[in-house]
Amino acid sequence: MTGNSRDDIALETLFAAGRSERPVPSGEFLERLAASADAGAARPAPAPAARPVLRLAWLGRAFAASGLSGAAALGVWIGFVMPETIDALTLEGDDTVALATFLPGTDLEAILNE
Amino acid sequence: MEDNATPVAPHAGEVPDAALLVGYANGDAKAGRQLVARLVPKLFGYAARALGDHGEAEDVVQETMLRLWKIAPDWRQGEAKVSTWAYRVTINLCTDRLRQRRTRPQVAIDSVAEPAADLASVVEHMTARQRSETLDAALSVLPDRQRQAVVMRHLEGFSNPEIAEIMDIGVEAVESLTARGKRALKKALHGKREELGFEDDR
Repeated sequence: MTGNSRDDIALETLFAAGRSERPVPSGEFLERLAASADAGAARPAPAPAARPVLRLAWLGRAFAASGLSGAAALGVWIGFVMPETIDALTLEGDDTVALATFLPGTDLEAILNE
Repeated sequence: MEDNATPVAPHAGEVPDAALLVGYANGDAKAGRQLVARLVPKLFGYAARALGDHGEAEDVVQETMLRLWKIAPDWRQGEAKVSTWAYRVTINLCTDRLRQRRTRPQVAIDSVAEPAADLASVVEHMTARQRSETLDAALSVLPDRQRQAVVMRHLEGFSNPEIAEIMDIGVEAVESLTARGKRALKKALHGKREELGFEDDR
């Protein structure tokens, strides 16, 4: 038998021993990982992330709402601190009010005189 | 000589790992425990042998399982085997740790003296534990990739295609790694005879 095949036999003997003497995890370690698995399973799954389009829609609504309320607040503030400016803008010159209706058969003047 | 390692295969009637993982993602703690029981001993066996330190092996396996739990909700059945994925993570984590250590002696195998005595007769007189320790010592001087391939093929019982998938290389590359690893092991064993405490029977 050649030296090389004798070496192969020796190596295979070592491999067989390696398979039978395999390092094993401790029971404590296995239990710790099992407990960790329990904890992970008990945790509720995270809610699915909102779709980007929906997030943008929410953002748009927020902007619209804040713009509207901001404009209203600004109008109240201007009317409160500078009433003469409002008068100058609204009451000077011809105060004639013109009304128009596009509804067929509507007598706007009769309605206003009632 | 061909080794008699047995490939890892699921037992008949056993719930597949992937199904357990999906069950776990849906809140089934028992499925998670089953996966721990199936995967951890194998992963630990590999990591302990690769790192030569049980404490570090525990850290690596724990990190692997944490990553597995994390990806569980996104796991797609049929795309990859859970055990293959887990081995790949463990092997990469082991490699990272070995690189950080940089203390593992990378012996130039070619410089080791050629055998002057019959290794088989030396091994024959060893106990099983001595043989296993001798093997671990010899494995420790192999380059990382060769050691990974040899351990998976001859100690963990993976087939070459399975190793190729885990290591993300071709089957031929696996064959080359294991062949070179075995040659290097034989040289290392001869070269380390005195260091390993063998009685010189020359």
